[in-house]
Amino acid sequence: MGDLRLSYVELHARSAFSFLEGACTPEEFANLCAHYQMPAMALLDRNGVYGSPRFHLAARKLSLSPHIGAEVASPQGWRYPLLVKSRTGYQNLCRLITQMKLRGKKGDGYVLDEEVAQKASGLVCLTGGDEGPLAYALGTGEIHAGIEQVELLCRVFGRENVYVELQRHFNREEESRNQAAIEIARKLRLPLLATNGVCYARPGQRQLLDVFTCLRNHRTLATAGRFLSQNSERYLKPPAEMTRLFSDLPEAVENTGILSSRLEFTLNDLGYRFPKYPLPSGETQMSFLRRRVGEGMIARYGSHNEKARKQVERELALIEKLDLPGYFLIVWDIVRFCREKQILVQGRGSAANSAVCYSLGITAVDPVAMDLLFERFLSEQRGEWPDIDLDLPSGAQRERAIQYVYERYGKLGAAMTANVITYRGRSAAREIGKVLSFQAEVLDRISTLVGAWQYPDPGQTLEGHVREAGLDYQNLQIRKFVELCLMAQDMPRHLGQHSGGMVVCQGELDSIVPLQPATMPGRVVVQWDKEDCADMGIVKVDLLGLGMMATLEDCIEIIREDYGEKIDLAHLPPNDPMVYAALQKADTVGMFQIESRAQMAFLPRLQPRCFYDIVVQVGIIRPGPIVGKMVHPYLKRRQGRELPQCLHPSLEPVLARTLGVPLFQEQLLRMAMIAAGFSGGEAEELRRAFGFKRSELRMKDIEIKLRAGMAKKGIEAETQDKIVKAITSFALYGFPESHAASFALLAYASAFLKCHYLAAFTAALLNNQPMGFYQPATLVKDAQRHGLKIHPIDVMRSDWLCTLEKYKPGFALRMGLRYAKGLRQEIGLQIVQECRIRPFFSVEDLQLRIPAIQKSELAVLADIGALNFIAGREAGIHRRDASWQIERAARRAGPLLERLPEQNSARENSPLAPMRPEERLLADFRGTGMTIGLHPMAYKRPQLRKEGVRSAADLHRLRNGSAVRIAGAVIARQRPGTAKGFVFLSLEDETGITNAIITPQLFEEDYATVVQQQFLLIDGKLQNQEGVVSVKAEHVRPLPVAFAEMASHDFY
Amino acid sequence: MSFVSIFVPDFMLQAVVRSAPGMWNRALALVEPASPLRPVICLNQQAATRGIKPAITKSEVEQFGGIGILQRSRPQERIAHAALLDLAWSISPRVEDTAPDNIVLDLAGLASLFGSDENIIHRLAEGAKRLGLETQIAAACNIEAAILASRAFPGITVIPEGEEAAIIGKAPVTALLFSAAGVSVSRQNGETASAVHDLTDLLETLKRWGVHTCASFAALPVLELSERLGQEGVRLHKLARAGAVRALIPAQPAGHFEEEMELEDAVAEMEPLSILLGQLLERMCSRIAARSLAAGGIDLRLQLQPSFEDGRITAGHPCAQTTDPGEGEAADIFQLALRLPAPMSDPRTLLKLLVLRLQSAPPPSPVVKIMLAADAVRPRTSQGDLFSAICPDPEKVELTVSRLASLVGDANVGSPELLDTHRPEGFRMCRFDPISVSRDSCRTARNSLVGRIQREQRAQGRALRSPSHGLEKEVQSALRVFRPAPAARVEIRNGYPVQIAFSGFRGRVIAASGPWRSSGDWWTEDSYAKDEWDLEIQSTSKTRSGKQQGVYRVCYDCAKKGWYVWGTFD
Repeated sequence: MGDLRLSYVELHARSAFSFLEGACTPEEFANLCAHYQMPAMALLDRNGVYGSPRFHLAARKLSLSPHIGAEVASPQGWRYPLLVKSRTGYQNLCRLITQMKLRGKKGDGYVLDEEVAQKASGLVCLTGGDEGPLAYALGTGEIHAGIEQVELLCRVFGRENVYVELQRHFNREEESRNQAAIEIARKLRLPLLATNGVCYARPGQRQLLDVFTCLRNHRTLATAGRFLSQNSERYLKPPAEMTRLFSDLPEAVENTGILSSRLEFTLNDLGYRFPKYPLPSGETQMSFLRRRVGEGMIARYGSHNEKARKQVERELALIEKLDLPGYFLIVWDIVRFCREKQILVQGRGSAANSAVCYSLGITAVDPVAMDLLFERFLSEQRGEWPDIDLDLPSGAQRERAIQYVYERYGKLGAAMTANVITYRGRSAAREIGKVLSFQAEVLDRISTLVGAWQYPDPGQTLEGHVREAGLDYQNLQIRKFVELCLMAQDMPRHLGQHSGGMVVCQGELDSIVPLQPATMPGRVVVQWDKEDCADMGIVKVDLLGLGMMATLEDCIEIIREDYGEKIDLAHLPPNDPMVYAALQKADTVGMFQIESRAQMAFLPRLQPRCFYDIVVQVGIIRPGPIVGKMVHPYLKRRQGRELPQCLHPSLEPVLARTLGVPLFQEQLLRMAMIAAGFSGGEAEELRRAFGFKRSELRMKDIEIKLRAGMAKKGIEAETQDKIVKAITSFALYGFPESHAASFALLAYASAFLKCHYLAAFTAALLNNQPMGFYQPATLVKDAQRHGLKIHPIDVMRSDWLCTLEKYKPGFALRMGLRYAKGLRQEIGLQIVQECRIRPFFSVEDLQLRIPAIQKSELAVLADIGALNFIAGREAGIHRRDASWQIERAARRAGPLLERLPEQNSARENSPLAPMRPEERLLADFRGTGMTIGLHPMAYKRPQLRKEGVRSAADLHRLRNGSAVRIAGAVIARQRPGTAKGFVFLSLEDETGITNAIITPQLFEEDYATVVQQQFLLIDGKLQNQEGVVSVKAEHVRPLPVAFAEMASHDFY
Repeated sequence: MSFVSIFVPDFMLQAVVRSAPGMWNRALALVEPASPLRPVICLNQQAATRGIKPAITKSEVEQFGGIGILQRSRPQERIAHAALLDLAWSISPRVEDTAPDNIVLDLAGLASLFGSDENIIHRLAEGAKRLGLETQIAAACNIEAAILASRAFPGITVIPEGEEAAIIGKAPVTALLFSAAGVSVSRQNGETASAVHDLTDLLETLKRWGVHTCASFAALPVLELSERLGQEGVRLHKLARAGAVRALIPAQPAGHFEEEMELEDAVAEMEPLSILLGQLLERMCSRIAARSLAAGGIDLRLQLQPSFEDGRITAGHPCAQTTDPGEGEAADIFQLALRLPAPMSDPRTLLKLLVLRLQSAPPPSPVVKIMLAADAVRPRTSQGDLFSAICPDPEKVELTVSRLASLVGDANVGSPELLDTHRPEGFRMCRFDPISVSRDSCRTARNSLVGRIQREQRAQGRALRSPSHGLEKEVQSALRVFRPAPAARVEIRNGYPVQIAFSGFRGRVIAASGPWRSSGDWWTEDSYAKDEWDLEIQSTSKTRSGKQQGVYRVCYDCAKKGWYVWGTFD
């Protein structure tokens, strides 16, 4: 502990995890604390221990003692500053906070005096600063009120656990309180304790705290007045400064060191107990697991697969050794529940490397057949819980699975992990702009432009970004706005709920981490996010929602209902020729994981012929293989233009499958194991060292170990370099093979359904938007090019979702009312319901039967032609007739007159002219974001042909290198981080999609055109190689197609 | 033909550009300077062709290059509009002030003065051109048709009688809507958009119906139209058929009265000036009274004799300022604004108030012209409240306040109001207005003021007792603030002040309490950061009464890096 007389320890600090009451991260505190050579520090966030894991980890790295505590609200409005002395104290604090949070509304609440009395053990209470119990008592009366309050604290916490706190922020009122506090301490013989009531690390962060104060109190800086700080003194002060500040009361400083030494608890001592699966009598966790695995193994592998049996045995032995059977049983139980309820479920990630998981039905990929590396999933050395992620259909089905876990393990046994919502570019800009009193339109403008300074373009200064975003940096308010936005980046804003992460515990989760209610009724979340839970060694299961799972599930349902066929995803015909033909042509719009521009550019080259090719396809178009320059060598070898060569003969078994090119993380691990003699755990450690949380020192150590291992095996220095390079460049972004395989299964399933059940697949895909790479407009056009008949939205026939209708030999797709922009779901559902009871015979009839419908909703329906057949006539009325009718229907005449027929009996016909085709197209795009009629480019085609513009279909027939002119609607813009500033555009016309490549120079020159224009005309050189067609742009011009407003997915 | 409508397209831009006519041929964008983003609110055709769009920011326009960027100027707009009205009034006494960018004249009976209607129209067009304004002019027998045509068609449009419907029929329906609402139809501006918010629904409906011209709108059956668009639809239908007839609404300077007097000999003395002022006030008050109104405020402007000496009054003067030369006024103008607590129409009271103000800040040079302007409002009508204290007559109160102000200065009279700020000098003087302050609010204000002062005093007392800072005495005293605060020189040792000198006074610090630190308003140019010290000082300089001791509040201004003495404790 050192010399206590000199060592001031800050024991009262709030971080930004006090949500708008602190202005720096716990890590900043820890770093500064280490810089000041302060041996310890305490973090007391408001009503929670939200920041404690991060503080704990950061402090532990710096060899500091991280003390835990919290400021807990009382019914009177003041807060108990509580410090944790022992594990009992920590458990009491967590339970106290949980009680308070679960009782109150979200974010509100306070602890009752009797609750504090019951759970005071193991806690130290300070008398607090201006929000503490003493200040409150002194504010309501004279000094005797203060004495009574402190005596009460002594009775609750014990005399030895109460410290009279002094803070000095150069404030008269505070100093007068201090004088009273000293008097009380002397009278009651209690120790004094100096703290600084810290709210931020550096004085400059006071400005951010002021902004947060405004946000908390719903004011602007101009109107916040004395809500704001009086000065900037609540920063983390160095011990010397605090000693000087309390030079008249040296014991107050000394006591900080003494109290710090009494606070024995840290989060290392959390006391988390692993959950146990509820068992039938006579069974142990392990025996029960063995039985379930045994059953599953026979079902999956049959009874004579020796290789599988050995692998399963090996895994079970390790699971037993690590005492993890309960975890596997819990996950198995969730999967079993999903199967019973016919909810699609599939394990993803490294769990697919485990034969036990495969046998239990958790994953769908056979790791034995695919020779996947188990150590990537679980190893003895790692000392971490395994991580199993389950993909479920997004939406209600996933919710059912989550509710099941709650029911099974109880309120205090399971909870969702939190998701700390932080201030990001747009949210920060909007809120800070508001606080600086920017007008509404300025705020709108800024929040749309602020993305412009997110892209880390090297060589551009902050000022440049700001100017590019249309802001004047010379203006003080703008300058402050930018500074504050940067300061606020990544600061916690509030606690949300993680989309799928669940933690489970042995019924006492509230003693491990405080729980609080989530927005969703009946659901609780822990105060830590997923990463923090993992860091603190709490086991978790991710129940993730996957749009494609929902699509597949919906598609199967539609096929069952409309086609009368039953599809089982686990038993789809393998090696379906139609699937591979589509993949080889890159005809993959809407297919899972293989539909992006980059994937499409690779498919014709790869020419997939078997399932493993899809696994490679999914895994290769990733930053890892791209940055590691693995893509081209693999292709050359695949196409026979280069002989497969392994880095070293000993690595052949590992790399042979991928033609000598490492593509997956498992290969990297195996390379280390074979070439350098690493154990499975060591190899996994290597992957982590080179992974996301990189540490130079750790990487260096591992590299030395790697080289030493390779030298021992007699691998030459040159080969060593190659292997090290392959590993280092790849590890950061690599994809696990098991994960790629799990995704490849879904990719195959989606391709199979698209090829064989196009109508059902398209309907399911459209019903689960937004998801995937393309806008619905593109999906619709693609389906039409594949021969699907699509019927427009019609209130007399459409459901809320897209449905199928019998059409000639097969099915046509009827667009659902959900695609009518601005039509509320409840109104859409009412329309469907009413129409089923009795068809509408006029617009008035519809309006009268659905009185809540708004005029704007009727207008959209009229504009897109959804009311054309409402009059019951076969030929229908035209859209303008409907528009004419809705105006009358929307203007309610009152109960006396509204049922009267219209004068002049012109109920069906109007004096208005029908829409021209171009007008209809415009109305379609405005009302639905797409058209099922001609593509906008089709209207321009005759003129474009005269100008020498080629269609997307033409390009395949042209020679590589020829000069071409193309035009189309921009459906995607991409500027990937790995592409050195190149921008990729996908242009759509009536015949298909063309890719255009924009060089960084051209992008800079024509920034506005490339980024803002919806239709482009591009001159350039055609690149037509191996069936992959793209145009390298030389000139870009806007194409005036004013009548359609198309949307694009932009990633730049 | 008896009505001529003059419309100025892109009025906001033209108002700024008219002083530099050559610029109009360039691509120009007008930005709103008051908004931090400086969005484009108006642009000309050339700029639109270059791809500039309304609402993009100034910085974005700069990226285009070669675009002239101008700032919106409301004074320029006012002047341009006034000039347009003057032009109209120079032709006809019957002028309608339809919109900022649109006026209408009645030409009836002017033939004998100016010749044919065509002559008059050309005269107007030339006159507008001389003013630097490009206009669209239309003449018709029907006032609404004239307005609509001027907004819809470029150049000069003369609509022969009986052909209104045919010609108006070609006008876009947007012109009809904007014309009916009396706001500008321009491709540009956000202000227009908000002003016509009610019309957007209608415009949207017509767009959906495919109705783009007045003719197609006029062709719709009126009865069914009324069922859909209500009476507003019927009105518009009438306008589109050129069937709406209304009378011209003559413009008159409502509620604003002006009187002026040019003097043959410059007046330098207050007495003759007050006599002349009295005469003017008599005239003005009788005019105001004739319309059963009273003056809500008086603006006095005195044109001063040009002087070779540097005696011109500058903007730094407490209650007078030179006018903005940009508004076309002469710089040698002395200006005084008298805001009244209640509307008054008694010329004698008004004269007394003006004279008192002039006595406290007299014009620096002899006066050659007197200009008086008054905003007239409804006279005060009030009935006494049985339960409220009788207030003195507001005229008397105002006179008393003005007398005090002439003695101590305007800024030092009124009711103090505490500001919600940590800033040490956080209060402001408000106008003393006994009528509008209700008893309750008086009590609240007093309580909060007293409460805050008492709290501060309590804290101060305790802080001063702090043994750590050396002051042992019980201090229950008031702080007497020095205004202005004298600068001081302070010697610091070990972080504490030990010696101080200010205003010829020199002393040794025998006890110090502080620093009490405050900083704030960091988001404005007027940020502050101050350290306050309460010092007990023993004088070391010889004073008449020998050695003196006192407690002072001394401040260090961190921004200015200087010390000053804030006040002394009684």
